[in-house]
Amino acid sequence: MRSPSPARYGPPSRWRVLPERGTVSIFELGLFAVALTMIAVDLPQTLQDVIIQTFLWAGLALAWNIAGGYAGMISFGHAAFFGLGAYTSTILSVHYGITPWVGMWAGALLAAGFGGALAMICARLRGPFFILSTLAAAEVIRMGALNWASLTGGAEGLSILPVVDATNMVFASKTAYAVLLLIYFVAVYVLTKLLEGSRYGLYLFAARDDEDAAGAAGINLLLARTSALCLSAFLTAIGGSLFAQYFQFLDPTHVLSPELSFQFALLPALGGIGTAIGPVLGAIILVPLSELLRGYLGSAAAGLHMAIYGGVLIVVMLYFPAGLAGALARLAVCRRKGTP
Amino acid sequence: MSTLGQLVYSGLLTGSVYALMSMGLTLIFGVLRIVNFAHGEFLMLAMYGAWAITAMLGLNPLYAIVVVVPAMFLFGVLVHRLIIRPGLDKPHIVLVFGTMGLSILMQNVALMMFSADLYDVPPLFGGRSIVIGPFYAKAELLIGFAIALASTFGLRFVLKTTYLGKAIRATVQDGEAAQLMGIPVPRIFLITFATGSALVGLAACVMMPLFSVFPTVGLNFVLIAFVIVVLGGMGSIEGALLGGICIGIVQSTSSYYVAPAYGQMFFFILFLLVMIFRPAGLLGRKGEATIGMND
Amino acid sequence: MTVLLEVKDAVRAFGPLRAVAGVSFSVQRGELVGLIGPNGAGKSTLYNLIAGAIRPTSGQIWFNGRSVGGWQPFRAARAGIGRTFQIPKPYRHLTVIENVAVSALSHERTVSAARRYCEAILEDVGLADCAEAPVSILTAGLLKRLEVARVLALRPSLILFDEIMAGLTSTEVRGMTELVAALPARGFTVIWVEHVLYAIMKAAPRIMVLHRGQLICDGSPEQVAKDPAVIKAYLGEEMNLA
Repeated sequence: MRSPSPARYGPPSRWRVLPERGTVSIFELGLFAVALTMIAVDLPQTLQDVIIQTFLWAGLALAWNIAGGYAGMISFGHAAFFGLGAYTSTILSVHYGITPWVGMWAGALLAAGFGGALAMICARLRGPFFILSTLAAAEVIRMGALNWASLTGGAEGLSILPVVDATNMVFASKTAYAVLLLIYFVAVYVLTKLLEGSRYGLYLFAARDDEDAAGAAGINLLLARTSALCLSAFLTAIGGSLFAQYFQFLDPTHVLSPELSFQFALLPALGGIGTAIGPVLGAIILVPLSELLRGYLGSAAAGLHMAIYGGVLIVVMLYFPAGLAGALARLAVCRRKGTP
Repeated sequence: MSTLGQLVYSGLLTGSVYALMSMGLTLIFGVLRIVNFAHGEFLMLAMYGAWAITAMLGLNPLYAIVVVVPAMFLFGVLVHRLIIRPGLDKPHIVLVFGTMGLSILMQNVALMMFSADLYDVPPLFGGRSIVIGPFYAKAELLIGFAIALASTFGLRFVLKTTYLGKAIRATVQDGEAAQLMGIPVPRIFLITFATGSALVGLAACVMMPLFSVFPTVGLNFVLIAFVIVVLGGMGSIEGALLGGICIGIVQSTSSYYVAPAYGQMFFFILFLLVMIFRPAGLLGRKGEATIGMND
Repeated sequence: MTVLLEVKDAVRAFGPLRAVAGVSFSVQRGELVGLIGPNGAGKSTLYNLIAGAIRPTSGQIWFNGRSVGGWQPFRAARAGIGRTFQIPKPYRHLTVIENVAVSALSHERTVSAARRYCEAILEDVGLADCAEAPVSILTAGLLKRLEVARVLALRPSLILFDEIMAGLTSTEVRGMTELVAALPARGFTVIWVEHVLYAIMKAAPRIMVLHRGQLICDGSPEQVAKDPAVIKAYLGEEMNLA
């Protein structure tokens, strides 16, 4: 049959400059180099804190994105997984003397189980209904933590003794934490990139983009969605455990609040949902910005910078729904096509 | 036995107030098929407004209805024009995150303007309770119940008998067909959204004597509103009333018999149960939650 | 010749309306069967019953010896029932070749193997030039071709085509008809719903006619064209098949 006449899309070239699905780009390698430099160089404590938080949030945003961006299951309740991870490893450590290096996997499995159950119950619900279910589930967890004081310390929370002991994941220098969280970030990133180029990843995209066509192509929607949420929950919980060890204190407000849940969704939304680099960009831009604003303007900024985020989110959503990464992707396609 | 009766009675009244707050949300969903994640912040805004008027004029907050309801209607028009309308023909996540962004914006503007302090208005009639039969209830609650009931029947009347109501129902059933019939669907959307906002304003005035206002008050109530709307059936005003009453009763009885802290937890569990067994809710159309959202 | 699909007294009711009101037929392996009928006759509902999108109110559907009535769509697809959608449903955020590769992943282990498999299919339907393009650039006619490519990539035993000709030019119709007519030789069994009558009456050796949820005729194109019930319900006047 005669071919139609849309512009010819050239064969893929060897090295990509800007991030694209399924391959590594110079941009990403450059970013990694910068990250390594930030750890190697001797920086003041406050900056180190910012870097640690950035790595953490990059990993968390990526984890959210697996369910929210790739599988299309937008969740405003991811704090549940974060909190489950944080509390599990901390409770095991504080009450039972189990090292967080082991405890964090227990937390991750618990979160994955919870996520799986949630998905099996609610994944067939569309759009806003599913979002509301995640909200409700997270609130159930939070109230559980608030009320089960004997286990979780209730509103007062739990503290981790700052006794330096590498086997208990308590480090003397911030650099050690930075390395740990960089490993976390890179691991989640590599996993994400592998996923998006894989058969499983393509199945998630199909299930997200059109359920009926995906079913007709032989995709088990329930399995795809449940596994995506399990994986997302697992990775988020690991982040939660690492955060607990770094911050050395947790309570429901810090690890289970709805505001926190919004944050998980906010970073990928601004950076670009559904891409690997998007959540990273969201974290890289927003985390240092908010930390610096908070430090610079004092407590009044707590309202101001979030208000600005809210406004920016509205504008970005209406005019740049693919986020920052979407803009980059368009640039990448244009370069390959040879048009400016 | 009379304790249970009292609990059910006050739960019913409180629940009807919750229902009033949720009617706007369910109306907007029923017609525009979107969930306004900033719904709680609309309530917060209206509550601050009601407080301000009461504080300035020294009046009963119910009089504030005269100002707050039209003001909220106009606010709804503004938000619809600026945010909702541009987002309607885009993928759903645009309005999900868009209204979420609005929620964050409004919360934090309130935080900057009013700080995190709680604001109250003095109780009506000196906080006396009115006794009907063996049961006590605060005057504010009874008034709230009456207004909620009146709103339900009023809305039902408008929807069933007026031309506007019929146009709205037509839009709900088939927006394209309605447009082909000459119904100005974009304007119906605008009117519905603004009316939903006005309803929130009405609820705020009723709720001000009962609850304090602070920047994140919306978050508490929006979760309750979501549960009520889902329970009653998205898009059903009567369902919202029914759902609200259920929630109110569940909350009052579980707070008393189990523990106050667990009161809230119970109706989230109720929410999840509804999601499992009847996601369309008590009075919603069957299959609504699982089909039709992304179409 | 073995029976691949057997439908027995299938009924699907929506409240009081019986969209499919007792349909029985069987299709042999390697057959090319046309299915025609006026709008609202129940053709799409019948497809949805066979492919698992809805469950039958009563009756049985047997595919390859197994009862598939009420199966989930993905199970039916994996068992070998492929279908196109009357209104194309592309995966909006993927490229053309990725759209097709998704279906091929049912029998290929890796994405690169699936892509290689789909290159030939894209050539067949004439979409090879835009393989790497985002699917959003395709026009309605091209999206129909995409639907065909996707179902071919699934490599099902039974293909249910749903109005794949709508909107095509007469040259394109000829090309598509050739493609469909060649499918039985390649091992596919095909049921073909179509409104473009001159194409289907020429290419399909057997035609079934559905009207108000019931089969009113099942035979060769010549028989169908002369059948008074069919003429009354659908054709309007006797069709000249020359």
